[in-house]
Amino acid sequence: MSQTTTERPAGKRPTSALGRAADWADERYTASRFVRSSLNKVFPDNWSFMMGEIALYSFIILLLTGTYLAFFFDPSMTEVRYDGSYSLLRGVEMSRAFDSTLNISFEVRGGLLMRQIHHWAALLFVAAMVAHMLRVFFTGGFRKPREVNWLLGVGLLTFGILEGFAGYSLPDDLLSGTGLRIAYAIMLSIPIVGTWVAFAVFGSEFPGVDIIPRLYIAHVLLIPGIILALIAVHVGLVVLQKHTQFPGPGRREDNVVGERMYPLYGAKGGGFFFLVFGVLAALAGLFQINPIWLYGPYNPAQVSSGSQPDWYMGFLDGSTRIFPAWEIRFWNYTISPLIWPTVVLPGILFTLLALYPFIEARMTKDRSVHHLLQRPRDVPVRTSLGAMALSFYFVLLISGGNDIIADKFDISLNAMTWIGRISLIVLPPLAYSATYLLCLGLQRHDREVLEHGVETGIIKRLPSGEFIEVHQPLGPVDEHGHGELEYAGAPVPKRMNRLTNPGKKAIGFLRQVPDPGEAPDLGSEAGETDQQATELAGRPKNPD
Amino acid sequence: MTERPSTTKGRRPRSRMRRRITGALALAAALGSVGVAYATVAAAATPKAQTVAAANAPANEPVDVRKGRQLYETSCITCHGQNLQGVLDRGPSLIGVGSASVYFQVSTGRMPATQQGAQIPQKKAKFDEDQTQQLAAYVQSVGGGPQIPTGDLRGTDANLAEGGELFRLNCASCHNFAGRGGALSAGKYAPSLDDASDKVIWTAMLSGPQNMPVFSDNQLTTEQKQAITNYIQTLTAQKDPGGSSIGRLGPVPEGLVIWVVGIGAIMLMILWIGAKS
Amino acid sequence: MTDAVRPPSTREQHDPPGEIDLETYRDLTLEERAALGTELDGVEIVHRRERFPVPGTKAEKRAERAVAACFVLAFLGAVAFVVCYVVLPWQYDINSTSYTWFTPVLGVTMALSLIGFGVGAILWAKLLITEEETVQERHSGRSTPEARATTVAVLTDGIAMTGLARRSVLQRALGLSVLALGALAIVPLGGLIKKPRDALFVTGWSTGVRLMNGNRRLIRPGDIEAGGIETVFPATPDGLSTQVVADSVVLLIRLRPGQVVRARPGQQDFGWEDYVAYSKICTHAGCPASLYEQQTGRLLCPCHQSQFDLLQDAKPVFGPAARPLPKLAITVDDEGYFVAKGDFTEPIGPSFWERK
Repeated sequence: MSQTTTERPAGKRPTSALGRAADWADERYTASRFVRSSLNKVFPDNWSFMMGEIALYSFIILLLTGTYLAFFFDPSMTEVRYDGSYSLLRGVEMSRAFDSTLNISFEVRGGLLMRQIHHWAALLFVAAMVAHMLRVFFTGGFRKPREVNWLLGVGLLTFGILEGFAGYSLPDDLLSGTGLRIAYAIMLSIPIVGTWVAFAVFGSEFPGVDIIPRLYIAHVLLIPGIILALIAVHVGLVVLQKHTQFPGPGRREDNVVGERMYPLYGAKGGGFFFLVFGVLAALAGLFQINPIWLYGPYNPAQVSSGSQPDWYMGFLDGSTRIFPAWEIRFWNYTISPLIWPTVVLPGILFTLLALYPFIEARMTKDRSVHHLLQRPRDVPVRTSLGAMALSFYFVLLISGGNDIIADKFDISLNAMTWIGRISLIVLPPLAYSATYLLCLGLQRHDREVLEHGVETGIIKRLPSGEFIEVHQPLGPVDEHGHGELEYAGAPVPKRMNRLTNPGKKAIGFLRQVPDPGEAPDLGSEAGETDQQATELAGRPKNPD
Repeated sequence: MTERPSTTKGRRPRSRMRRRITGALALAAALGSVGVAYATVAAAATPKAQTVAAANAPANEPVDVRKGRQLYETSCITCHGQNLQGVLDRGPSLIGVGSASVYFQVSTGRMPATQQGAQIPQKKAKFDEDQTQQLAAYVQSVGGGPQIPTGDLRGTDANLAEGGELFRLNCASCHNFAGRGGALSAGKYAPSLDDASDKVIWTAMLSGPQNMPVFSDNQLTTEQKQAITNYIQTLTAQKDPGGSSIGRLGPVPEGLVIWVVGIGAIMLMILWIGAKS
Repeated sequence: MTDAVRPPSTREQHDPPGEIDLETYRDLTLEERAALGTELDGVEIVHRRERFPVPGTKAEKRAERAVAACFVLAFLGAVAFVVCYVVLPWQYDINSTSYTWFTPVLGVTMALSLIGFGVGAILWAKLLITEEETVQERHSGRSTPEARATTVAVLTDGIAMTGLARRSVLQRALGLSVLALGALAIVPLGGLIKKPRDALFVTGWSTGVRLMNGNRRLIRPGDIEAGGIETVFPATPDGLSTQVVADSVVLLIRLRPGQVVRARPGQQDFGWEDYVAYSKICTHAGCPASLYEQQTGRLLCPCHQSQFDLLQDAKPVFGPAARPLPKLAITVDDEGYFVAKGDFTEPIGPSFWERK
């Protein structure tokens, strides 16, 4: 801010251009304090906090490229005869939607690049949301007071997947048309109202002529509008509640340690937008995506082997592939086997996902407010549950491409189906146990280092002839030579060269740089009271 | 057509599993051919076999049929029998399969097979083009059947769109939209069409090798077969306009790329941003 | 509200910036003035360090050059992008491969430019911008008791002002009208509703309709060799339209010698000699199940790997499909063409509720 603005009370007119503009705005909007506090907002500096930003930036890129594509795309199912420059399809009957997508790819200069950036950005959008969600889950970032923001995140993921599927279907190519037919079959499978739902969405028996225009308006207006609103509230809540942060020296429940938005973090975050955009441009230039001219226009009589949806729908395709053929028939009615893996299963999965913060709060009876995150090892049950869910999801995802895997690795397709069925039941409990043991092991190691110090690599011979390794204690020791530091939820240095750098940019550390031999006093900085130390160690406060 | 870029394509990288399997198959092939060679030498040594073979030969046999018969008697007779009638549990009858079938099986190295099965893998051909033609001529002369096509096997580029429609209707369901092959039930597979020559594509359609359905000339006319062949060859030779094709396998490799390359690259950048300078 | 009687929170609320003593303010350095601003926002700069306390050192020059180089790269990338966009051949040409460079080159130059710009900005932050360690107070949790109590009071008072609590008739009338307004929002969606029933039970086949292939050629028994298949459609004027194809497409199969189909009861005469015809639409999710293995007689669907054994009359033998493929009854008419003996005897494609 120009100093002239703040001197305004004295009655002097600002002289610089920036000052005059600021003065103009402030006289009308009383904006000074809002602007200043926005510029002063502090962002915690941790790499894992940037994954949500990837999603946000991909969404902005999606809006930009999507608008460009909309200049040329015609969401019509009217049949036309292709007469463009791609000779391998010239003369083929196709819908205007497919025709205009071909035109974007072959007749619009740079159109193919835009299409490919758009599609890669869509894949990245959902992938980044998943990565971000995993970070929030495993560090306990969803706990009170952020439960609603977790719900908004689950909503964003759901709408992101729907938005992706709608966009993937728009070109009306052989691959996406096959996907739409499956979507129609899924709607049909709903008990009692299924046929009514399917006809309401498609306007007639599959395929009809309404579905592409309807998906288009959903894809360019309805769902992006909802996503935009959800993002606004999601980010608004982050600003209101401020970021969480990892425990460490100087970091408390009632502060945020980091860098201000202006100028430091703004430069990093703004630069990061261009990095994400650049990676997408590179992907779009180097890797061909969704080559619809190879798939051909949709024809219900045709299909290609190895038909899959985009990756974010892959887990549903996988569940559909490995679910057994259990059809229920009674009186004159039928319940399709399709309903279980495509409607019931994702319904349960997303409900559990959405309710997890509330389930955990109820199970642990933890009703207190948390702004400090937890290390995954300190909450073994949650971490193991997450690993279990991930392994379940991963088996489904792999099964969604099991025909490609079978073909490329010379495995029987039927064996792949059975591998998926068995792993789906066997792997999650294994993942749970393994993760649980891993967490306990890591915890134990942390406690050992706190008690005995860091291994120095120096071997000493005792008078008795016994050889021992010298340990460097991290802090004050009692009469037995055991460390007195409490575990505070922050990383414990485990190598000598980490001793000078425990936790990042810690206040106590930076204010007074200890010499390498002298260990910094982690415990007294972070855990001022026993109460707080317990909490940092991942155990909830006593409910009041 | 003449200005079309050459169709030479690099062999696609093979997985370790694939290498092991092919290695094992090569070993089996080597052992098998030694056994076959021994058996045929032993058979040829007996005067009785010689007389039978001589009796089979018509007086005015064309040269290529005669040469083909000789090749047959050294390499094929143990499994397919002296009169192409087949040997129980070893090999099927070749009567009526025609020269088209022989050409497909032998020129792609599937025959002589190392072992019988629903899926006989492609390998390096044992016989050269002339020998293959001679074998085919011999089998044709005995049992008849669909013949090796001659003449123009592709037609003009005006047929590409029609070829594409026919390809997607009849071929893509097993061989994938870009002819990259795909899995069939219980370990069987439809092979990739990347290295298939015009003649191989034609003879496959005509003879319906292994589990592939037959597409006779009454079903797909000569012009339609030309169109399909032209489409396949144009498509497999065509460079991709949008960068690397990542296998032309659809969304599976795309998903892999976004997680490994996309998220991977961005994660590295994030770590760099967070690291101290 | 029990909170109202609690002692006021010890946590200080933000004081609005008071009158700044202009005389004192004028004497402050820029840094001190900014620090005053951050303090007013509850932000404390606990550590601030110039990256290069001595200006003009070699190290500083090097850092500056690195950042500048990134921005130059961004500039060059953008220029290259524009030049390539204008100059490079881009239109597809079957006889050339030059067009294949266009998109990759555009993507790479664009990426160079964007990444150059992004790295430049971040390097600037990491190398040149004054390093800082900042702590912001977080005021979370409950509002002050005063705020809570008075908010509740305002809300309750408002309801009291409307008198809604006393006026039960008005309450009911209001509730009724809100319901009706909700109906106004939902009922017009009724325009989407279509009665589904009949369409799902009929296809384009009926008695005497001939079979034709995708080129509108009628099919005779001699057209297909043993072990061959053909995708066929009803030989009606709209037989190849997407709508008809979607439920009428049929796979006509000629079995190999020796292959015998064990037909379902009542469907023994649905085939014709060694020909059988099944709906191509998978009974699981509706993909064309068309990966036919002529030796094993298996038909595989590429979407979810359902496998049907034709020799058991297209019974599902593996994967998620639960019902056999519907069989089309066929025969040969007087002129020697294949004809359907009627529509399918059951709905084709995936299961649905009303399906028996």
